[in-house]
Amino acid sequence: MTRALLILTTLLLIVLALAVTFGAVPLHWNDETARMILLRLRLPRVLLAAAIGASLAVAGVTFQTLLRNPLADPFILGVSGGAACGAAVATALRFNRIPGLVPIVAFAGALLATAAVFLLARRRDHTDPVRLLISGLVLNAFFSAVILISFALSPQNDLTAALKWMMGTLFGATWTSVLLVSVLLVIAMIVLAFVANDLRLLVFGEEDAKARGVDVERVKLIGFGAASIITGAAVAVSGIIGFVGLLVPHLIRLVWRRDFRMLLPLCALGGATLVVAADLVSRVVVRSTELPIGAFTAILGVPFFLSLLRRT
Amino acid sequence: MLELRNVSYSYAGVAAVRDVSLAIGEGQLVALAGPNGSGKSTLLKLIARVSAPRHGEVTFEDKPVGAWHAKEYARRVGYLPQDPDPAFPMRAIEVVVSGRAPYLGRFAWESDRDWEEASRALALCDATHLADRYLDEMSGGERKRVFLARVLAGTPRLILLDEPFAALDISHVQQFSALLRGVVDRTGCTVLFAAHDLNWAAAHSDRMLVMQSGALALDATPREVMRAEVMKAMFGFEAETVAIGGKTWVVPRT
Repeated sequence: MTRALLILTTLLLIVLALAVTFGAVPLHWNDETARMILLRLRLPRVLLAAAIGASLAVAGVTFQTLLRNPLADPFILGVSGGAACGAAVATALRFNRIPGLVPIVAFAGALLATAAVFLLARRRDHTDPVRLLISGLVLNAFFSAVILISFALSPQNDLTAALKWMMGTLFGATWTSVLLVSVLLVIAMIVLAFVANDLRLLVFGEEDAKARGVDVERVKLIGFGAASIITGAAVAVSGIIGFVGLLVPHLIRLVWRRDFRMLLPLCALGGATLVVAADLVSRVVVRSTELPIGAFTAILGVPFFLSLLRRT
Repeated sequence: MLELRNVSYSYAGVAAVRDVSLAIGEGQLVALAGPNGSGKSTLLKLIARVSAPRHGEVTFEDKPVGAWHAKEYARRVGYLPQDPDPAFPMRAIEVVVSGRAPYLGRFAWESDRDWEEASRALALCDATHLADRYLDEMSGGERKRVFLARVLAGTPRLILLDEPFAALDISHVQQFSALLRGVVDRTGCTVLFAAHDLNWAAAHSDRMLVMQSGALALDATPREVMRAEVMKAMFGFEAETVAIGGKTWVVPRT
């Protein structure tokens, strides 16, 4: 199993090196401007891509394990939708005049959405996974409606930024956002590691886990809380980058069929690699503009996924 | 070892278990019989600490079940739900070693000892050859054996099995029941299994608890249960009884 960690770490380091080296402006160490670009723009952007990819993949594998459902991911559960909804409403209300306010509202949206989905799915002292998924789907429809209305009410010149955000963008990454997302990611991973031994037993069903001494409701609360917070933070700073939460855990599971304890670090590494690679491609493919990174996570991930699926 | 005092449980206001009192000692092979929906599964869940009774008390080794530390209890009481199914593909040996979970520390991985216990349990269930096979590639009978091995890997003192014979063909029922008998004889643990099929329940147990609409209607030996009058009163059908080799079987009269 250390082999899997080694392979993915090496892969991530290679992709990181490539992503720092290549970009719109070629790198020259001796050139003052190039160095500024590297330190102020490219490096935070690449590191943010890694932190966000890791966050989304960790959130995805956590949701899938908790719900015993391979289709669960931050988007289907409405967590990302809640964040998008918060950001869209904030833009419509002209909150973007104050820097940093839109991400905060987006983050709050993600947490509110999680709480709402959870409350809707809860019956008596028990949370039903199927109801949870259905609640997420229904809330997503509601969020889409609010987003459309907000866009219609938003000032024309704020719309481009809002649309970019909806497509997912790492443009405008700062060291502050890198720090914020990374710190939350590390805390969430430590918390998840604490309950990993219990979480992995949930795949056999909640009653089975209970009979093995797992405090199921507590573990669910911790798992959903941690996964929602890192999803909220990731979506708040980078907008909607799809497929990572769904794709990466499946990719990892197809190659290394392991339980949650091992999937946790492997998914973090895999998610980071995928998003850094997708961001690199989205920056260099067309010279004059940046293409939406969310499209490239899918374009890079899907063929790889399909080829693995065919082989196994 | 296990005692229930006036235990009741209800789902959304509908009583599933009503005022059940009973005691089970060490080294017994006990069948929990009764028609579908009579409360067998619910009673097992109450004993397995999956749900807590609304009224009354379940005590295990003279201590109320709720007062036990969850992991400590899980080491002593092994529970096999009716149709467990991991949501993601798993190898048999991984399923079995997960039965060691109550012994693991928070950050610990399975030790060599845990893997040994898992292999031993697989061997006990005559399933060593299945170790590296994936669960979704197995027949119902093979899966049942793997899941029993998972319970045994935890070396419990009390084993609770919900419908272990469902989905098994007749030869596997024989094999599986011989295995249960062997486990009880060899380790001195107690097995309590729910079975809606009276003939299997009677043939493979020393004692039968018969449930009827949530209440414990009868607590007797298989010989005493397997009588035409009891069949008529409890299950509502006319039956003939046939005695073969010291065991009594019931056949519906047509």
